[in-house]
Amino acid sequence: MEHATPPAAAAGGITATVDLSPAATDLGGAHLLPCGIRQNGGAPVSDYFKPRSTGVEVEGVRVEEAFFRGRKLQGATLALPDGYRGYVLEKKSRGKDASEGEVSNFVSRAEFQNITYWNHDTTPSAEDSLPRCFHWLTVANAMHKPVTAEELANMSAMQNQDS
Amino acid sequence: MADAAAATTLEWATKEPCLMGIDEAGRGPVLGPMVYGCMYCARSYNDTLATLKFADSKTLKEEQREELFESLKVNSSIGWEVDVICPKDLSAKMLKRSKVNLNEISHNSAMGLVRKVLDMGVLLAEVYIDTVGDPEKYRIKLTEKFPGIKFVVAKKADSLYPVVSGASIVAKVTRDRALRNWVFDETALNMHMKTGSGYPGDPDTKQWLEDHKHPVFGFPTLVRFSWGTCTPFFKDAVEVTWESDDVDEDATNNGRAKRQVKLSSLGFTGFKRKTEEIESSGKGRCKFFQARNLELVRKFQ
Repeated sequence: MEHATPPAAAAGGITATVDLSPAATDLGGAHLLPCGIRQNGGAPVSDYFKPRSTGVEVEGVRVEEAFFRGRKLQGATLALPDGYRGYVLEKKSRGKDASEGEVSNFVSRAEFQNITYWNHDTTPSAEDSLPRCFHWLTVANAMHKPVTAEELANMSAMQNQDS
Repeated sequence: MADAAAATTLEWATKEPCLMGIDEAGRGPVLGPMVYGCMYCARSYNDTLATLKFADSKTLKEEQREELFESLKVNSSIGWEVDVICPKDLSAKMLKRSKVNLNEISHNSAMGLVRKVLDMGVLLAEVYIDTVGDPEKYRIKLTEKFPGIKFVVAKKADSLYPVVSGASIVAKVTRDRALRNWVFDETALNMHMKTGSGYPGDPDTKQWLEDHKHPVFGFPTLVRFSWGTCTPFFKDAVEVTWESDDVDEDATNNGRAKRQVKLSSLGFTGFKRKTEEIESSGKGRCKFFQARNLELVRKFQ
């Protein structure tokens, strides 16, 4: 069992465990709709939600079309970057841990490699917030990547040149 | 989308001034397409047309309408076109952020037919049309759009003018066939087409809606979701909230902060959080994260 529990329990941050080990159904893709659906649980998505390619391409993004509850949605499919996977989590039980307070346990039920996000009435574009969220991954990678000795040496060489 | 039935322009139509009638079928029902149809002929043919027993399609039986439609299709002195507006397009337009009402959709469809026939080279002199909304306002709208044509906008035009009766048959038969040959987008089990008339008083229609409602998806796309007839069926359905609905309500309030609340309450993060929590979540955070609606989640619930 893998625990995605950060060590920051003392700082009041820890509230959940996530178990990604069960062999999950591979959904391939998941949909993100521009509305709140006040239900948790399964739904016969593939019977009712029928995305169709429009043949239109905006900024290299292939625009899809679908209808939900009478609204016309326009969407685009984004592949999750290499090294990332999407999970659908289900809350298992709410355990009480004496030292940590309330703990929520999640188990993965399904995984996906791409995500189709849908706009109501507006054509998808690179300016939408979901594609822009992926910028964070690039920034985070750059920030957390270990610095090699060579890079350090180059850096100090450059600094010396500047001064 | 107009049918390609009369794609080749009839020769007389480009040489002689023509009369055209426009009528609609399926404006009121909660399901199926709304069809606009037009029929045109040379002005000199109008007297003959009057003898062809086209009557208002509502007073005819289905077989009679089918027969008349087949006879006008092979009549080389008559031209016709249709515009079929799918129920999902009707719902989508009426539920857009900037909503388009049914009268406007109807006007646009009728004007689309006039445009199409003109583009085919037909010499349109007079157009007769059943009114939608106020007849005089509609007439002015049409005349401004097509200054060279004389428009006669009347209530019950379909029983007054043979060209409109003909158009009404074209529209009605096209709608009936569309319903008869309807192929569901949905692949749910046990769907059927015993829809009744589509009017709320019809027990078959009520039963059909009852049989096809779904707590999450509402109905198949055969249904016009924007119709009041649907409302009682949504009572037990899962609540779905749209950003565009909220913006309407908030239009008078100071929009921005509120709108952000709605945005961030969508999607992954769930709906149980308190408004204040969401509202404050952007505060003090770097613009990079604010612009991407990203927030640090400290607590999974």
